[in-house]
Amino acid sequence: MTPRALPNPGWGPLSALPGNPLMWVLILSEMLVFSAFFALYAWQRASETAIFNASQQQLEPLMGGLNTLVLLTSGLCVALAVEAVSADRIPRARRWLGGAMALGMLFGGIKIIEYADKFAVGITPETNTFFGFYYGLTAFHFAHVLFGLALLALVTWRTSTENVETAAAFWHMVDLIWILLYPLLYLLR
Amino acid sequence: MTALPGTRRLLITWATLMGLTVVSMVSARLNQDDWQALPLWSAALVILATGFKAQRLLMVYLNLRAATPAWKGTFVGLVVLTLALIAGGYLAARLT
Repeated sequence: MTPRALPNPGWGPLSALPGNPLMWVLILSEMLVFSAFFALYAWQRASETAIFNASQQQLEPLMGGLNTLVLLTSGLCVALAVEAVSADRIPRARRWLGGAMALGMLFGGIKIIEYADKFAVGITPETNTFFGFYYGLTAFHFAHVLFGLALLALVTWRTSTENVETAAAFWHMVDLIWILLYPLLYLLR
Repeated sequence: MTALPGTRRLLITWATLMGLTVVSMVSARLNQDDWQALPLWSAALVILATGFKAQRLLMVYLNLRAATPAWKGTFVGLVVLTLALIAGGYLAARLT
């Protein structure tokens, strides 16, 4: 790649990354933080296998799978919004962003139903180590979803290519973390 | 502004991600009423599908394909490391 072709000239090693370089720093740091939690989870699972297995049976993997499909579709909407805003089609970009936010809220709704079901039968973060991880990891992710929704709302109001690209990168990171979280908590048994 | 993936590539990627999610769910045998440990090949398929999903999301949704090989390697390497941790923890729990 020649220096002229760099997407972000003047950003040193980050100049070769597409979109806002600072967002990539955030993505990298978030991935490292979640990976550390995943490693901790793996370590605890190996030492409390019976508790983790018994607790995992009480999750609803179909709900988690549905949420994965919802979030990935929301990611598509955001990516299409970037395509639209780059072609100066602002109203279309806003419609895609609206679709992404609606799906993001659906994800949140499904998650809240899951939490409510667990609390209704007395399962809390203090029930055992597994549910400490379950609530901790999914709530931390959920906080990112809420922040992402706020970002998407902001760029729907202040729509520019740079703003939409930056919010989209954050939203895709939220997707990426969930993709890794879903099999860890729900599927691998 | 870098070259964007384009609508067609995005739609193909979305269909791939949806398909791989369904493959993961089927591999994890969610249709079974009784809770049983997965056969190792099923668990391996879940992890492989997850890795490919993460790679596609990075390259197309996040458009990392427009970056240098070093950055692509860094992010894909981090995903591989994360999945290795997940797989290692899973295997350790299975073997103890």
